[in-house]
Amino acid sequence: MSAAAARAVLEVSDAVVEFDTDGGRITAVDGVSLQLSTGETLGLVGESGCGKSTLARAILQLVPMQQGSVRLEDTDLGSLSPRELRRMRHRIQMVFQDPRGSLDPRMSVTALIGEPLRVHGIGDRASRAREVAEAMELVGLPALVADRLPSELSGGQQQRVGIARAIVTDPAVLVCDEPVSALDVSIQAQIINVLDELRDTLNLAMLFIAHDLSVVRHLSDRVAVMYLGQFVETGTASEVFTEPRHPYTQGLITSVPRADTESAARLQTARRLVLGELPSLLDPPSGCRYRTRCPYATDRCADVEPPPDLLDGHHAVRCHHHRAITAGEHQPSSKSMRG
Amino acid sequence: MSLPLLEVDDLHVTFNTASGPVHAVDGVSFTMESGDSLGVVGESGSGKSVTARALLRLFAITDDVRIAGSVRFDGVDLLRIDERKLRDVRGGQIGMIFQDPLTSLNPLMAVGEQIAESLRLHRGMGRSEAAAEAVELLGRVGIADPERRATELPNSFSGGMRQRVMISLAIACRPRLLIADEPTTALDVTVQAEILLLLDELRRSEQMALMLITHDFGVVAATCEDVQVMYAGRLVEKASMVHLFDRANHPYTEGLLRLVPRFEDAHTGRLHPIAGQPPITGGGGSSCAFAPRCSHAFDRCRSEVPPEVAVGPQHLSACWLAAERAKDATEAGRPWKRDP
Repeated sequence: MSAAAARAVLEVSDAVVEFDTDGGRITAVDGVSLQLSTGETLGLVGESGCGKSTLARAILQLVPMQQGSVRLEDTDLGSLSPRELRRMRHRIQMVFQDPRGSLDPRMSVTALIGEPLRVHGIGDRASRAREVAEAMELVGLPALVADRLPSELSGGQQQRVGIARAIVTDPAVLVCDEPVSALDVSIQAQIINVLDELRDTLNLAMLFIAHDLSVVRHLSDRVAVMYLGQFVETGTASEVFTEPRHPYTQGLITSVPRADTESAARLQTARRLVLGELPSLLDPPSGCRYRTRCPYATDRCADVEPPPDLLDGHHAVRCHHHRAITAGEHQPSSKSMRG
Repeated sequence: MSLPLLEVDDLHVTFNTASGPVHAVDGVSFTMESGDSLGVVGESGSGKSVTARALLRLFAITDDVRIAGSVRFDGVDLLRIDERKLRDVRGGQIGMIFQDPLTSLNPLMAVGEQIAESLRLHRGMGRSEAAAEAVELLGRVGIADPERRATELPNSFSGGMRQRVMISLAIACRPRLLIADEPTTALDVTVQAEILLLLDELRRSEQMALMLITHDFGVVAATCEDVQVMYAGRLVEKASMVHLFDRANHPYTEGLLRLVPRFEDAHTGRLHPIAGQPPITGGGGSSCAFAPRCSHAFDRCRSEVPPEVAVGPQHLSACWLAAERAKDATEAGRPWKRDP
């Protein structure tokens, strides 16, 4: 994979999304930039409330951005009129978490998959039927379910319909927001394989959001770790997952329970890397957003927001101390050594 | 030999549904001692949750359900005591936590009050003693500023904190057995890690037995010494966790271990889903229920239920090929692992 050489189909620059909540105004996405090339999957990980789903919605222009831009195939989506935007929508599609909730219960499988084509006025009746049949085949839906309603499908088939709807318009970018987290484990594997195959056969650029790090690692070429609205670490999947630099990334990775004999010991380590609870977005920490939970935090972390520090390749880390930590020259403070 | 804490013998649970009987649990037997930790693993519909619910007859009034067999807890058959006595056991000797704590907590009652109510009911404490103990319990499960938080309603807690409240409620009456049904499935990994460590610490400090129901072998590995795998209402494999990772025997267990991407693996090609789906009518047939999905199945699998065969120390596998597979596993090492 060579992200630099391939053409970026999606380019997000300095995206900022703010919301008014009961408690006041929050910045859900705080200056995020990313590029995505054809045939490439970017995995987006972070805890609930870190802003990953909001970022996805902002990219799809479903929530307004206060700052920044989203360029899809060299078109600035923010500059388009609603009508022009509708015409661009078929090039960027989304797969949702809850397949049942996102499908009209009264429509048949073929009507559901054909709907995006009709809405976007793509093709005529005959060509649409062909496209629908092709999409069904690509996602592994047998022809015999064509006339069934969503309630007559299994959970896995429902999600296949959701994916078929997303790819039938021939998008350049597919945004998947927790596409397997509502599914049973055996069905998860099937859907992950479907997405994996589609990315290859259709040369899709995929933004894959999930809280399951194993799934993200399996599917992604590059990974961005998000914390309180910011990317704290980005890089190739192997850079981020095998040589994590940011203490938060290290904590997240160590927290994944693995099926081996070191599992319990690893969780003890994780507890020393991620302290306490997620702060409120209403009152985000000054300086480094992670410092209130970081065992390595110093006064500097409270005073100065760390800029992204670019290591070799694509690996970037927003931490003042990551080089010293890696070199073994910066130890955790004593408050982290509890229990 | 003293009696085991929990002795489940030939448990059957059958639901009568509009489309016919569903044998959700089909002849399950196992025992647990104080301080034991047992993971129960399987897909949705394998009968793992129904087994746990059957121990305490926790079914909806609308369920047309028949339970057979015996569930001896401390020598008393819970299936044969009256509802009033069973209520003392639920939330008393046996505590429970579920995936979604909100459905188990009263949304209109301060959390401290809910814990205190349980303490008054099960441990006969007075009002002020119970209130003080509730605060103490909230502190024990890692809730900061427990005095203040005891006065708050469940919806003012985050998901992880709510699960801690649920755990403090479940351990309030010093249960000898804690049943946790997918307790961390809805939580972020960092919060999950904290909850799993908490359950492990409580089990060790209280000599409490822990039964943890999950689909995630990683979760079992972090908290349980023993594991049993269920399929279509039957136990298909039982082993120590360490032994299972080394020598998974049953083809279904092997399938479960192979079907999820393991974190430590980079992309190693496509995943291996288990073809087909579990039978919707549960078990109850006269064949191996897994045979239709099993690539190793032969004639006998389709005509006779395989018995549990010992394939190692404390290791049972209900497969006609168990002995043969055990031999292969010894020779081949860990066949289900993608990288040696």
